[in-house]
Amino acid sequence: MTGFREEVCALLCEDAVRSEIAQTRRLPYGQESGLLDVHRRLGKLGWLAINWPERYGGSGATIVEKAIVTEEMIRHGVPENVHSLGVDIVGNAINLMGTDEQKERYLPGLARGETTANVLFSEPDVGSDLGSLAARAEPDGDGYRLTGRKIYNMKAQHSDFALCAARTSTGPVNYAGITLFLVPLHSLGTVIEPVWNLSEERFDLITLDGIRIGREDVLGEVDDGWQVLNRVLPFERTGLDHSAKAERTLAALREHAPPGCGDRLARLETRVRAARLLAWRCIANLHEGRPDEIHSATAKWYTSETAKEVSVAAVELLGPRALLDARDPDAIADGLFDAAFREAPGLTLAQGSSEIMLYFVATSKLGLPS
Amino acid sequence: MTATIAEFFEGDLAPLVRRMADRPRGEGGDTDDDRRETRAMVWEGLVGLGALDGDDATGLAELLGSVLYQGPLLDTLTARALFPDAGLGQAPVALAAGEPTEADGTVSARCDFVGFADEVEHFAVVGGERSALVRAGHPSITTRRHEETGRGELHRVDFAGTPVTAWAGRPDWEGARVRQAAYLVGLAQAALDHAVDYATTRRQFGRAIGANQALSFRLAEMSMRVDAARLLVHDPGTPAHAAATLGEVADLARTVTTATMQIHGAAGMRSDDDAQLYYRRAAAESVRLPQPRG
Ligand SMILES: Cc1cc2nc3c(=O)[nH]c(=O)nc-3n(C[C@H](O)[C@H](O)[C@H](O)COP(=O)(O)OP(=O)(O)OC[C@H]3O[C@@H](n4cnc5c(N)ncnc54)[C@H](O)[C@@H]3O)c2cc1C
Repeated sequence: MTGFREEVCALLCEDAVRSEIAQTRRLPYGQESGLLDVHRRLGKLGWLAINWPERYGGSGATIVEKAIVTEEMIRHGVPENVHSLGVDIVGNAINLMGTDEQKERYLPGLARGETTANVLFSEPDVGSDLGSLAARAEPDGDGYRLTGRKIYNMKAQHSDFALCAARTSTGPVNYAGITLFLVPLHSLGTVIEPVWNLSEERFDLITLDGIRIGREDVLGEVDDGWQVLNRVLPFERTGLDHSAKAERTLAALREHAPPGCGDRLARLETRVRAARLLAWRCIANLHEGRPDEIHSATAKWYTSETAKEVSVAAVELLGPRALLDARDPDAIADGLFDAAFREAPGLTLAQGSSEIMLYFVATSKLGLPS
Repeated sequence: MTATIAEFFEGDLAPLVRRMADRPRGEGGDTDDDRRETRAMVWEGLVGLGALDGDDATGLAELLGSVLYQGPLLDTLTARALFPDAGLGQAPVALAAGEPTEADGTVSARCDFVGFADEVEHFAVVGGERSALVRAGHPSITTRRHEETGRGELHRVDFAGTPVTAWAGRPDWEGARVRQAAYLVGLAQAALDHAVDYATTRRQFGRAIGANQALSFRLAEMSMRVDAARLLVHDPGTPAHAAATLGEVADLARTVTTATMQIHGAAGMRSDDDAQLYYRRAAAESVRLPQPRG
């Protein structure tokens, strides 16, 4: 296992890869990177989606190797949203729940790092309470017409298609009647508008104005999107991405911290180590085919809160130097602290907010009344 | 005076003031020039209303924080106390902190994070045994705006043998720290108000998110901590504990603005929402003055 990690690291440490990553940090404001050569390199080796079957571009390895790739990519600063949305969320959902046709159509491009996908769940009025979503898919011949507004999704400008949640029926239980669709993103009837935010990656508001989709574009069963989500969620919510980010920021903080911060750094380091253990416990659960929702919620909460804490602590300990953007010639650590600080608030919101994780642990683990 | 200035900031001016030094990024909108005009207008207004007179500077600083004022006023107050006889008139001054060296009536230093360097008339170069007042615009001075989280008007300024117009001792850091702490109390209160508003109006799961004690108790706790911090900064005993007070309030400002982001969900990250503005400004303002260590 160590051998594989070293091979991945060796690739990620090559000069060409490092300079490509460094360039992505200095793009003009308003621009962001999509899939990079490093993704395609990893894809060519069958490592990008290493746990997928070979015929879909993977290597037939396990979730453990996949976790090693993810962890090392983040530790080495490879921009990861474009990858995690395409491979870890959408691709993974197709791999787990898709039909053979869907797998053949979508997985090889994702695994090669040539295409990516985005996730259209949230709506202007629908965030934590996904069950109340309003986008609807109405039957139309042998397919559907999809109408709704989706916001706070990312990477639409780099994605070919999306995984979109829409209502196909209404009933007394609001999360029943939701269906997941694989939809083209750049077709007539789809309007994409940027929603600028404080991080390096913009959000988009996507308006779907009755776009036509086929029956074959349903992922899983009609009205049963919730099942798909529950099946896929433990893969998304391991906390590994956040623990790797926390490690990376902390390593840089150690390097740049002034004398006298030892105690504080030691405490942060202990938390970061615990975060990593929680994340790897989730990976082990998945590897053994026993995902555990409480472990997932614990890992998501702990790792994202820790990553945020490290980023905010860096500003406190380093002072104004930590605020310099990668585009400032005097920036330290390639502007990592500024980027981490601006990314931090999103960590405890996306993929299940901290409060939702706390609620779940309070009611499910502790059995407190809801 | 503070009450009149508070009136000045009310109404239509408030949203402009909050972004008066927030440099637009890739997203379009107002240009730098529009914001510079707002800054000039606000400076005139403040000076006209007696902001330089120096009475109740703590109350004024808190007010400035609550409207997210950005400009050279707090630095100017510190500089005026340092150079009372320099005939500064109503000129804006920036503090430039570094490790200055002196030679033949000139000063040389590299100073980072100097506020509004392209708009002030003088710099007070501080950090050595003596402080030096120099005129802005001298050819020996170069300035470059930092690219930073706050997206504000912070500059790197290099002084290369700049003629000194007046000398003084060290600045009154205690006074400056108390005013900065008061500014952060105002900022924290404004961020908290913004969070309370959102928690009252945003609905999920069929009710206002603020109806959940996970959020309402956190808001209540922060409100109590801001209340305590406000008493601290206005207490006459505080200058003797200025650095510790600023440390504590800086921490509070970061905590409150981070929570304000969390309560806003993804909406708070939007460039057009003030939540992210408070979050970024708190980061910049909480580390703005040199902090003693140990
Ligand atoms: C960086 C980032 C990337 C994202 N990417 C995508 C994407 O690709 N696709 C997509 O569809 N969406 C995406 N989102 C949106 C994300 O799914 C939502 O942010 C998330 O579902 C929370 O919804 P919200 O932001 O609207 O917050 P809200 O649901 O409005 O919640 C606001 C605050 O209230 C709290 N809260 C809500 N209900 C309760 C309760 N019952 N008890 C206590 N507290 C509560 C929340 O925890 C939060 O702190 C992204 C968000 C971020 C920040």
